[in-house]
Amino acid sequence: MGDIFDFMENEFDKININLVELAYKLFTRVKDSDFEYIYRGGFSQNISKKLISLAETNVKKSAGRTALKNKIYFVMVEGLQNITKHEDDKNDEKGSGMFAIQKQKDKFYITTGNVITKENEKTLKPKLDQINILERDQLNKLKKEVLVGGELSDKGGAGLGLIEMARKSGKKLVYDFTDLNEKASFFYFRTEIQGERSLYQESAPSIGKAESIEDVKELHQRLDEENILINFNGKFNRENILSILGVIKGQMSVSSTSKKVYNIMVEMLQNISKHTNNHEETIKNRGIFFLSKKGDRFILTSGNYINAEDIEILKGKINDINAMSDSELYDQYNNILLDITASDKKTGLGLIDIRIKSNNKIVYYFKEIDNNFAFFAMQASVKIKE
Amino acid sequence: MRPLILEATEDTPLIYFHPEEGKFLIEKSSLPENAVEYYAPVINWLKEYHSTPNAITTFDFSLEYLNTASSKQIFEVIMMINKISEVSDVTIRWHYDAIDEDMMGLGKRFSHLVNAKFEFIEYENNDDFEI
Repeated sequence: MGDIFDFMENEFDKININLVELAYKLFTRVKDSDFEYIYRGGFSQNISKKLISLAETNVKKSAGRTALKNKIYFVMVEGLQNITKHEDDKNDEKGSGMFAIQKQKDKFYITTGNVITKENEKTLKPKLDQINILERDQLNKLKKEVLVGGELSDKGGAGLGLIEMARKSGKKLVYDFTDLNEKASFFYFRTEIQGERSLYQESAPSIGKAESIEDVKELHQRLDEENILINFNGKFNRENILSILGVIKGQMSVSSTSKKVYNIMVEMLQNISKHTNNHEETIKNRGIFFLSKKGDRFILTSGNYINAEDIEILKGKINDINAMSDSELYDQYNNILLDITASDKKTGLGLIDIRIKSNNKIVYYFKEIDNNFAFFAMQASVKIKE
Repeated sequence: MRPLILEATEDTPLIYFHPEEGKFLIEKSSLPENAVEYYAPVINWLKEYHSTPNAITTFDFSLEYLNTASSKQIFEVIMMINKISEVSDVTIRWHYDAIDEDMMGLGKRFSHLVNAKFEFIEYENNDDFEI
């Protein structure tokens, strides 16, 4: 896939290309008003709260009916709690959990992933299978039995949560256990929720779609390989940006590096928002952002469509900024501060700030889509200070 | 003169300008995309204060995060304060987190561009990113 990109910067390395290719691939597979948010890492209460508000903001816009929103909310909270419950099962660095919410046409998919001991796998699998063979009325009966019988252990017992998720979804629970080592597996758990269109249709229990969980598994493995902490693929408005920033705040311990990463993120996210929010509901009003950690660096990658006529201007701007020495950068920063005629939006202060804070060149890529639009990806990296 | 008090939100700072109490604070984070709009009333208030200032005015800036759109507007605020320093004994106290070299650097840069007196105050933040 490498040859389709027009690399205009000489100073790039393998990692950068991988990430930009991934950004393009992920960006273009999500259509129209759909979205895809994936988070990998630790799950504190704070992070869960922010992930829920991130999902809520977007579900609110896409899912009209309250009943539907409540369903999605329930499945999300339940899933996040399952991850936290099993946090202590993790036994090595592969232990980070994952949470994904995706909207594809009129369907929502919520996937959680976490490390689970082989012992817990042995008790969980039959429960899932038991729930999956039951019809709706049988599920209701089982729910009552569990409620009355109180067969709940601290780790979920007969799985009231699982029963409820199956009831809310109306679909088979899709799951997968991937071997990590002799003691642990990675447990993927995917719930499908039918959106608006066929809300009133009798939801016939369909056979769990193996391909859908394969798809999210593959995606997660790519994120694992690149050590991507958060992948946000959708609309970048104020609410979304604040929720993403909140997730990152919860994820990173406070340091001079995390401050830089946070500040650069703000500029990159608002940059996407600036370029995309005046477009109609298509891929053109969305963007992609991910934050990854490789070796001693955080890498921030963003991508979105821009007007083809802006390419040359933007290229010139970034090239100029990249060529500046430190003192030239500061001079330019001051010039913009002192320039009262500089409009709010196109000062270029954001790019200069990214360059100063990252202490690194800004790497960028353009790929022409048609006569009017191009995919523009930008990357900054921050060296982690000891 | 009536005070100007704007409560902090997730992406706008606390603004507390109170001539009677002798307090002039800008605190927390400023990340709005449309910073010009947000800071317009702040700058207008300072213009008014310029005509009836206290003998001594101490401004405390204690900002955690600033986007560049806000940096530019905070500088507009500082330019206005610089004007006030011609009619009042002004000090700008620039507070910054000990680990935040960028926030300190920004204050230093501002201080070189105006005549108003700056003091730099480092603080230790044990906040640990909790919101």
